[in-house]
Amino acid sequence: MRRSPAFELFRYAVIVLAIAITLVPIAWMASMAFKPIAEWQATGNNLTWWPKNPTLDNFRFIFGESSTELIVALERTAAKPILASLLASVFGTLIAMAAGSAAAYGLSRFKAGGNLPLALIQLRLFPPMAVMIPVMIMWAFLKLNDTWWGLALVYGIVTLPFAFWLMKTFFDEMPREIEEAALVEGCSRFRVFLKVTLPMMAAPLASSALFVFILNWSDYLIALLLTTREWVTIPVYMASLSSSMTGQLYGAKAALGLIAAVPPIIAGIAIQKHLVRGLTFGALKQ
Amino acid sequence: MSGVTEAPGAAEAGDDARASRKLGLYLTLPAQLLVLFIAVFPLLMQLYISLTGWSPLTGMGWWNAWSLWNSFQNYVELAVDNRWWSALLRTLLVMVVCVPAEFLLGLGLATLFMDNFYGKRAFYSILLMPMMVVPAVAGYMFFMLFQSGGPVNDLLSTLSGQNIAIAWLSNPSLAMVAVMVADIWQWTPLMFLILLAGLVGVQEDQLKAATLLGANWRQRFVTIMLPRMKTIIIIALAIRTIENFKIFDTLYIMTGGGPGVATETISVYIYKLITNDLNWGYVAAIALVILLTLSVALGIAISRMGKASTEVTK
Repeated sequence: MRRSPAFELFRYAVIVLAIAITLVPIAWMASMAFKPIAEWQATGNNLTWWPKNPTLDNFRFIFGESSTELIVALERTAAKPILASLLASVFGTLIAMAAGSAAAYGLSRFKAGGNLPLALIQLRLFPPMAVMIPVMIMWAFLKLNDTWWGLALVYGIVTLPFAFWLMKTFFDEMPREIEEAALVEGCSRFRVFLKVTLPMMAAPLASSALFVFILNWSDYLIALLLTTREWVTIPVYMASLSSSMTGQLYGAKAALGLIAAVPPIIAGIAIQKHLVRGLTFGALKQ
Repeated sequence: MSGVTEAPGAAEAGDDARASRKLGLYLTLPAQLLVLFIAVFPLLMQLYISLTGWSPLTGMGWWNAWSLWNSFQNYVELAVDNRWWSALLRTLLVMVVCVPAEFLLGLGLATLFMDNFYGKRAFYSILLMPMMVVPAVAGYMFFMLFQSGGPVNDLLSTLSGQNIAIAWLSNPSLAMVAVMVADIWQWTPLMFLILLAGLVGVQEDQLKAATLLGANWRQRFVTIMLPRMKTIIIIALAIRTIENFKIFDTLYIMTGGGPGVATETISVYIYKLITNDLNWGYVAAIALVILLTLSVALGIAISRMGKASTEVTK
């Protein structure tokens, strides 16, 4: 299509504006993360948009180095919350992917599963807040409260619908002829799955897993209700980075926020072409 | 959709079919169990607790809640709970402002990305970034931006030439605006992504064929673009409406539902009931009302969609 120069100018103007609005909040946090105390405490006329004296102090601070200027040392460093976020998200992803892709294969190939697809949509529809009471009671009873494995189990179930629907669309797309050929040659169903289907599904499995990982990593609400001290995740821990004495520790929070923001952005860019499929439960492909 | 496809090796019926059915059952079993574990049993538990005045503070196990039986008192209370109704109204207000705003902005941007231009791929990747940011972190970003001595006011001061120090997050109506801005910032990219996929799909698939067959611009728009985009628009709006109804993370970090209860949505209200008031019997009643309402809505939506799709295929 040929467009007029006026249109091209308009298009670039709008896009540049949109990009600026997109980047300002992220850039502001990044800038705060590298500012020394004097700069991140500044307000109003003293505000600096870009760090004048960039420093890694904020990162050192959240990993346990006490700050002479703040006169506070953290009671607990960010190391364990980062570990908690990682463990809960990774194992939650494994649970969701294992159960989800098995069920998706069962439904795609054998029409098994009954009303499972609908139940999974329903699961996604409900506000998590509305189902947390029984989960909190059960988790307390099973001694799963405040553990990363208890959190991973909830994550696995909460993101199961995405794993299931994503993998179902991928299995539906995979030509059956290849599997059938292997079956005719005398391979058992299980061997066909292991030696033929799984290798072909490696890339879809990886993208789906990354997608589910982003969702798990992004959780705040569930961790807020299920973890209290030992295994709080990054977003929950962030709230503790303020005190009555120092107020908000903006620099430290920004540094931690930056650490939390990076993995899903990288993962998201890596699976960009599958994002539409994932977000629309496979209803739409790109 | 290719319609009904035959199971592999359907010719050899009997044993093979039975084995396949069994395998299918085993494969779906873990997912079924997980759903059962998180849905069915907890639902019954919640139903039971909702009929009592039980709270974890009573020190007794939830199974003993019958001793605090109060029939439907929780539900009656809910019907006259002003804080609940205003939280619901606020949730709906956020929804009717944010979802259409995200839709229109997303659609506008998507139409600009329909054909190729220099830098398209890079712009596209950058524009998608907000929805990948952890919502709690996004909440914190906007918390910083909207401080009275923060960058938003700084920018406004520079633009207007006056010294502006608006206390965004401690003013009831401005706090609502700030929360909505954060939601729109984060989720416009999702609308953009889905709608662009729809627009591009239309273009590639059928528009060229229609042009070859001699359809003019208007015919192409009415007969191809609109029907195809209709489904996609419904999907995009449905997803955002459902997700927006759950709004919690960003909002709670920015305002904690405050000042006072000025930005308290239903998720925030329930959270406060769970952690501060600990009146879990009441929370269970609220939760069940929400679950029931949404399930009925889903049922209606699905039957409508079923009808619509059969009409289309006819």
